[in-house]
Amino acid sequence: MSSSPFRAAETSLGPPNPVLVQLRDLVYQVAGIFQPDNKLRFLEDRCTKRMGVLGVTSLRDYYDCLTIKPIRQTELLNLLNEITIGETCFFRNQPQLDALRNIVLPKIVEARAKLALRHLRIWSAACSTGEEPYTLSMIMLEELAGKLKGWTYEVIATDLNERSIGQAKNGLYGTYSTRNLTAYFKQKYFTARGNELHVNPSVREKVTFNRVNFLDDARMAFIKGLDVIFCCNALIYFDMGSKKRVIQHFYNNLLPHGYLFLGHAESLYGVTDDFRLVHLPSATAYVKSAKRVVSR
Amino acid sequence: MTDVQQELRNKLEGLERMPTIPAVLYPLIQYLELPPDQMEIQKVVDLISQDKSLAAQCLHMANSPLFGRWQKVNSVRSAVVSLGMQRMRDIAISCSVLALLPSGGSDVDPVVFWEHSLGCALVSRQFARKIGFSEPGKAYLAGLLHDIGIVAHLWIIPAEFQQCLETAAAKGIALHEAEIAYIGTDHCHTGKILGERWSLPAEIIATISCHHDPETASTQRELVSIISLSDLLCRMNGLGYGYIEERQVTFTEESAFAVLLSECPALRTFDLARFTFELEGYMEEVHRLVSVLYRGGR
Repeated sequence: MSSSPFRAAETSLGPPNPVLVQLRDLVYQVAGIFQPDNKLRFLEDRCTKRMGVLGVTSLRDYYDCLTIKPIRQTELLNLLNEITIGETCFFRNQPQLDALRNIVLPKIVEARAKLALRHLRIWSAACSTGEEPYTLSMIMLEELAGKLKGWTYEVIATDLNERSIGQAKNGLYGTYSTRNLTAYFKQKYFTARGNELHVNPSVREKVTFNRVNFLDDARMAFIKGLDVIFCCNALIYFDMGSKKRVIQHFYNNLLPHGYLFLGHAESLYGVTDDFRLVHLPSATAYVKSAKRVVSR
Repeated sequence: MTDVQQELRNKLEGLERMPTIPAVLYPLIQYLELPPDQMEIQKVVDLISQDKSLAAQCLHMANSPLFGRWQKVNSVRSAVVSLGMQRMRDIAISCSVLALLPSGGSDVDPVVFWEHSLGCALVSRQFARKIGFSEPGKAYLAGLLHDIGIVAHLWIIPAEFQQCLETAAAKGIALHEAEIAYIGTDHCHTGKILGERWSLPAEIIATISCHHDPETASTQRELVSIISLSDLLCRMNGLGYGYIEERQVTFTEESAFAVLLSECPALRTFDLARFTFELEGYMEEVHRLVSVLYRGGR
């Protein structure tokens, strides 16, 4: 177990529960998603919810459920679902999107200057119900009206869940999903339909949706020539072997100058040396370590 | 020394209002050199208690989770006893440095520099521990004082410094780059002059002087590199100078990283992603604490 010396968790409630810190470390070790000290209360809430379902009364017993009980693998998935549930919304991670616009896209355009084709390919690999690919499409439309004038783009959106893809294709969203949308984006890219907002065709026509299983090597190998991959809160569900396999695909799918964005506080530590971590303002991303092609 | 640097040195040395090193700071720094069993609780208590404002600030800080205190402490003595000599020394040094910030003179909000310094001190200490650097206390002090040249700029050339800050913010570039472009020198050089004037320890002066260019340090390159990387990490994660540096940083390609790698083998397996996420967990508290200290301390 490692502990933070900063201990900036709940000031009124005393120091973080050591078992909670153990749970945090376990989740990070297994899934690669980290809950900083100021989010430990959130983690405790999620654990408490699962404990209610299981009829477990202490965090220590719940830790055992995640480590030594036969249900540990299933329960870990349940906990991860609880941690990531409700995260899907438009403009979910603003620093990441700002970095895309202000730093990453200019770097990609510079790298692509040698190529005749002024076209960008972005993959929203775990698109869920579509908020992320539509956000990316809106951002690209904004950029095309400014710094990327004369460029074209496409957003490839995939998910394992057929039902989510169906919802994504409908492009209809309620207040929860649209809570981060500014009036500007709402007005420019959405049409009101009753209590919901419908994504305008200009945004939707650049996005293609498909069901893809990350472990389907043939399908994964088919998605080529990418500039940016967004894969948020999906790798956390894979065991290490499968994770390495998926990451290898991402490496091959990306162009040499390509970027891989993961979810907030999600890391590839211990998974691969093919990508290296880069820091952007209040965000992180991964870029290819070296020019090499690995075939599967 | 360039003409500009000489001019700044003259200004600095001729400045009547330039603060002298806070009386409490030097003895506290000297305590760094002592083994823990030779530190006397009462001496530290006395040092801090001499200055009522400093004592009050220290208590605020001692009650922050950043320093690991969970039950309220009401006296300097109980803070020293419950937090330990080293933490209390760190707190007292931090608070005494706060007193150096000027009020007025420009529209620059000095609080952001103090937030950055405190954040950098905390990150440096933790980073030092994680990679097996033998003196994390020194890393804390060096992190806290590394930007003392900015304090000097706020005192001697507030209008020019404000212009640098505005330029850096508008262009999204590093502050020292704007300083070099606009003033002709940077806070590293000015800080070195101040550090020498105050007779700060050589390793602290090396850090102040070389934290943007660690391979130029002729001594203490390990410490300087720790502060250099911690400084950069803070600036990339919302604990900078109040604006966003629009850049991409690959820490493993920084010269400081290469310097450290040869000295600290633990760096090879260091999880920088996790360390970055941990920083997010205490950033809010750094902002809150500095705000309380600054408002309460002036």
